Amino acid sequence: MKPRSLTRRLTMTVLLFELLSFGALVSAAIVYERHTHFKAFDVMLRGRADSLLGAVQDADDAADNVILDTTGLDEHGADLYRVEDEKSRILGESDKKGWLNAAPAGDGISSVNIDGKGYRFIRIHGVRVVDPGEHGGVSHAISVVYGVRTGHVWHEIFASVRFYAITSLIALGLTAIAMTWMMRRGLAPLYELTGKAEQLSAARLDFEAPQSAKETRELRPLSLALESALARLDRSFRQQKRLTSDAAHELKTDVAIAKSSLQLLAMRPRSVEEYQQGLERCLEDNARVERTVHEMLALARVEHCETRAADGERARCAIRECVEKSIQQSEAFAQLRQVKVMLDASADAIVGIEERDSLLLCANLLLNALQHSPAGSTVRLSLAADEQAMILTVRDEGSGIDVGDLAHIFEPFYRGDDSRDRKSGGTGLGLSICRAICERAGGSIAIANRAGGGAVATVRLPILYSQDIDRASVEIKEEA
Amino acid sequence: MRILLVEDEPRLAENLGQAFREIGLAVDHAPDGPTGEYLARQGVYDAIVLDLMLPGKSGQALLRDLRRDKKATPVLVLTAQEGKESIVELLNSGADDYLSKPFDLGELIARVKAAIRRGKGVADPILRIADVEVNTLQQTVLRAGHLVDVSPTEFRILEYLLHRPRAVVSKQELLEHLYDYDWAHHSNVIEAHISNLRRKLDTSGREPLIETLRHRGYRLRRERDATA
Repeated sequence: MKPRSLTRRLTMTVLLFELLSFGALVSAAIVYERHTHFKAFDVMLRGRADSLLGAVQDADDAADNVILDTTGLDEHGADLYRVEDEKSRILGESDKKGWLNAAPAGDGISSVNIDGKGYRFIRIHGVRVVDPGEHGGVSHAISVVYGVRTGHVWHEIFASVRFYAITSLIALGLTAIAMTWMMRRGLAPLYELTGKAEQLSAARLDFEAPQSAKETRELRPLSLALESALARLDRSFRQQKRLTSDAAHELKTDVAIAKSSLQLLAMRPRSVEEYQQGLERCLEDNARVERTVHEMLALARVEHCETRAADGERARCAIRECVEKSIQQSEAFAQLRQVKVMLDASADAIVGIEERDSLLLCANLLLNALQHSPAGSTVRLSLAADEQAMILTVRDEGSGIDVGDLAHIFEPFYRGDDSRDRKSGGTGLGLSICRAICERAGGSIAIANRAGGGAVATVRLPILYSQDIDRASVEIKEEA
Repeated sequence: MRILLVEDEPRLAENLGQAFREIGLAVDHAPDGPTGEYLARQGVYDAIVLDLMLPGKSGQALLRDLRRDKKATPVLVLTAQEGKESIVELLNSGADDYLSKPFDLGELIARVKAAIRRGKGVADPILRIADVEVNTLQQTVLRAGHLVDVSPTEFRILEYLLHRPRAVVSKQELLEHLYDYDWAHHSNVIEAHISNLRRKLDTSGREPLIETLRHRGYRLRRERDATA
């Protein structure tokens, strides 16, 4: 499909309007010119007829007749005329004859076509008195029919209209050229913007709209929108790139450990005990690779999979049940760390997460809290609800989180400076997974330091089912 | 030979440390950037194995600062980063060699040994002085073509001395380069090993290969002196 050109459309529209006004102008000019020319023409016609009437004179004969004396009158060879008296005596007529039948019978001015030529006729009446001084004189009623060819009038009209027409056409042509040039010039910022945008590629996403485009009112919104969209794209590309490189780093390190353990064992012949110990370590290292891969896959699944379960039903689970389950699951670890876990659940609801994700979320937060709790302390979980969301908080009594780390704590593979998670076996993905789960369900997660020491994780998850249904389901469960 | 291993990953450090010790190197381990830098500045290491992603101070910054302060210890970098640019950048900022994770342990050991040799200005893994030939790869010592049975520590002392022919090497220097910092330092131990080495290497009627300079240390005689 040929793309539509805005420039061409605009130019064409302007030219079309100009052409229309040109047509209107020419028509008006024709009407006007015709009017004025014919007005003058009629005055002239009347004048000629009048002067012909004036040329009717006393014949100086006994019958007191009148004659037409054309001497001293201007010669108008092509004009047609006929002068009669009351007895229909022809006093004089033009050289050309035989037109009288065609001439109009009525008084006044009218147009007639004779032999394919346009004429305009006037018929006037006058009274000529012969010898008025003697005995009252003899009066003759004279009628004059006078016709003049109108060809030259039309010619003049067309000449002056042609002048208008040519002037307008020249103006039209100039407008077309000027418009094209102006449009091209006016659209220069757009072309500049396009040129800049053409330089973009996946590797080069930094974009700053040219100044000229930003200073153009029509292009400013587009420029700014492009800039911000590309900035966001660039940021997410960078994030993705960093995630990939961090993931590669993590995996390579884990594989390097596993490989070096095996190669160390193979360096020289060893005793059976040494082999046994070595194999145990190799298994440990292998478990670590496995865990890293597992968590990476979990993050990828939570971040990129469809929010709906395979059977098309929307994912959902009862949050309280998941919290309780995760507490059960981490009981052994809590005992090992000599940390007490307490749950204060004042509400329950169905939230829009798959059960395994919900378990993963609760378990990750709980294990994190346990890991950072000193022996003899307590981890407190609470479940509460406001109008739209369930709020799960996990508080520990540990040393809290370094202020510098707080901003990065949800970044994949981020670890505090002392690398403590690495030592304690974490991959640095746990909180990223938690965040991905919460965001997918339309909720949020935040971690902060508590005033009294320790950290608190707060999770908000939108409630899927109303409270009544929940309460009912809880009651049923309790009965069972 | 004593090397410094700067690696924050405890399991990897453990494995590498053990592997280096098994081939007769003394290994000190630094788990983070600042510790690594502090130890590297002591100037007692024959090579440094440096990880890049370190807590406290990155390997790259550590390397750059070391080189700026004219510390010329050979540095082998372990990197898990991708891309040619970072490698070029690394070598340009003063690394002598690099190995990407996951690496081959055998290759790492060979490269560390090569780095140590080059640091001493030696290209050949077989060191020779007078009629003594020391193969640093097979860890064997030949005197006049005959295999001499030396203990690992004796071998390390001899290897170190051979890397510095004609220089006077103090007992302190030997201690620093042969043992990790966790080792109890006793100069008597060195004396005992030197005496054993002399007994094994020297045949009667010839000048001893290892010369003792009182209160100063030891020196290897060169061929001319030995046969004189």
